[in-house]
Amino acid sequence: MVNKTNNYNYPDKNGRFGSFGGRYVSETLISALEELESLYKKIKNDKKFQEELTNDLQTFVGRPSPLYFAKRWTDKLNGAKVFLKREDLNHTGAHKINNTVGQVLLAKKMGKKRIIAETGAGQHGVATAAVCARHGLECIIFMGSEDIERQAQNVYRMKLMGAEVCPVSSGTSTLKDAMNEAMRDWVSYIDDTHYIIGSVAGPHPYPMIVRDFNSIVGTELKKQSKILFGKYPDKIVACVGGGSNAMGIFYPFIKDKEVDLIGVEAAGSGLSSGKHAAPLSDGSPGVLHGMKTYLMQNSDGQILGTHSVSAGLDYPGVGPEHSFLKDMGRVHYEAATDKEALKAFHDLSRIEGIMPALETSHALAWVSKNAKKLKKSDIVVVNLSGRGDKDMQSVAKADGINF
Amino acid sequence: MGRIKDSFERVKNQESKTLITYYVAGDNTLNFSKKVFLKLLSYADIIEIGVPFSDPMAEGSVIQRSHERALSSDISFKKILSLVKDLRIHNQDKPIVLMGYMNNFLSQGESLFKKIKKAGVDGLIIVDLPYEESEFFYNKLKDIDLDLIRLISPTTPKKTIEKIVKFSSGFLYYVSFRGVTGAKLSNFKEVQDKVKYIKSKTKIPVVVGFGIKEGEIAQKMSKISDGVVIGSRLIDIIQQNNFRLNTSLNLLEKSLKKFRRDVRKR
Repeated sequence: MVNKTNNYNYPDKNGRFGSFGGRYVSETLISALEELESLYKKIKNDKKFQEELTNDLQTFVGRPSPLYFAKRWTDKLNGAKVFLKREDLNHTGAHKINNTVGQVLLAKKMGKKRIIAETGAGQHGVATAAVCARHGLECIIFMGSEDIERQAQNVYRMKLMGAEVCPVSSGTSTLKDAMNEAMRDWVSYIDDTHYIIGSVAGPHPYPMIVRDFNSIVGTELKKQSKILFGKYPDKIVACVGGGSNAMGIFYPFIKDKEVDLIGVEAAGSGLSSGKHAAPLSDGSPGVLHGMKTYLMQNSDGQILGTHSVSAGLDYPGVGPEHSFLKDMGRVHYEAATDKEALKAFHDLSRIEGIMPALETSHALAWVSKNAKKLKKSDIVVVNLSGRGDKDMQSVAKADGINF
Repeated sequence: MGRIKDSFERVKNQESKTLITYYVAGDNTLNFSKKVFLKLLSYADIIEIGVPFSDPMAEGSVIQRSHERALSSDISFKKILSLVKDLRIHNQDKPIVLMGYMNNFLSQGESLFKKIKKAGVDGLIIVDLPYEESEFFYNKLKDIDLDLIRLISPTTPKKTIEKIVKFSSGFLYYVSFRGVTGAKLSNFKEVQDKVKYIKSKTKIPVVVGFGIKEGEIAQKMSKISDGVVIGSRLIDIIQQNNFRLNTSLNLLEKSLKKFRRDVRKR
């Protein structure tokens, strides 16, 4: 593991993270993926592109995001010091926009006029709609019909920014089916369309591109922690669904072995109940959505339905780099239940005056459980990946309140 | 190699083109699909058995629903293999190809190859098989005299076509347009040019599929290639008749007879 970490340089030229990742798609998509990869490699270090990106990140997204000391929560937990990387303060309310701001620039460079995206909770859909409006591009968002009902406000937000929201009613009518449908649309309109995948998932080069655009979070944290603590954090904690916020904050620290990296999956009603969305904790390797990765599946390779109180973690797969980092032992993956996440949601709201997204609440739940076991001098940073306003309905429902 | 090669030669000697049909195992029950496959075996030259997947990314709505129905009828890989064995009792000559997605085949591990051989399968079409892994599958299948059938699409660059044909056998499946199964064909000239190019690079027969709904298109496509694949159209006929067995089989027979005539016309 030590050697692998020192020379960490993935994906390889075939888009692999060890045996994970790759490009398992129908032949029609291959050339578009190759075009995207070669353009991305060409312009990622281009000075003009970087300037444009940095400008958008500062003036449109509102970066850098602050590193906040959760003092009252730290006192209550009576253990390690807890800091929050405030991605919830970004424009549109989550880390998702770091990726869409970058990918829309790639789409423009390729001359694509039509943007499509999938969304579960709606955060990625909103972040995509925003950048499309900003650049005057056509925007179509695929969303499971179940999710459309659960996330009516986000659907309206997307529409307000000019996006068309396409309901998907195949399969389980959730995120995974929205992704299938987006792929089908992409195959059909490949010549003028760019697909902005919202997580570090899908066929190569998406896991790499989405990770790179999100790694601004970890890069900022490096600078901020050097100034604030004179060292890197002892532990970094992030929730993992597809895994884009986690990859974003972990990636710049992979070679810094003194920093423990902890990913928290959704244990739903509990890992033993089978009703969860934790493929790394309780799944097996397989192929879905163009990538080889840990999946929730049966012995015939059929993908299983998932459950989580948080729509953004309700996904049967995970980004392939997480699968690799798990097997390599560099990142430690655990899971938090719906109940634990909801408690963390309430705690942070009441104690710090910050309402976290239910996704993020899973990472916070890990801190609640483990802070006391750590040294008081230890510094724990949680990626506060999104704000919880979108989750009012779900939280109220769990508390038995009807609006 | 075996049955697939023989089949193309037989059809050629009859001055016809190859008619390939696709239907999903277990739609809407295992037994119903068996009756459909038996009917298909009597009119088609090669039958493709769709292995249902929970996430069939390359399929249009007709075949998606078909996969969903099959999965809710509790189909399994084991049942599909026993279905093939059953079909082999009735027909020993015509090739049977399994068409499906990587994850279902991977789930069987290395024993996949032995199992499909034993059941009487002649080849595999893996919709989402990446180029880097085709050599592995090609060799594994070749060792047991089975074929790896690869797809080529309108967006496949010429250089890639040359690489793909190297690790293909049986026949090549040209996807006639940018889209999912069952959508509408748009650019005939493009298909014609591409098929011609593929045929200049290999001796393996090239068939055209996706979007062939009418006899007229089947006729046009078979003129410029070695055969056609009919899928969504057949499923459509059956679902429109609510899976009533006798009506479905009668209409299927009528449609197959017409397709048969259409691919024969010169």
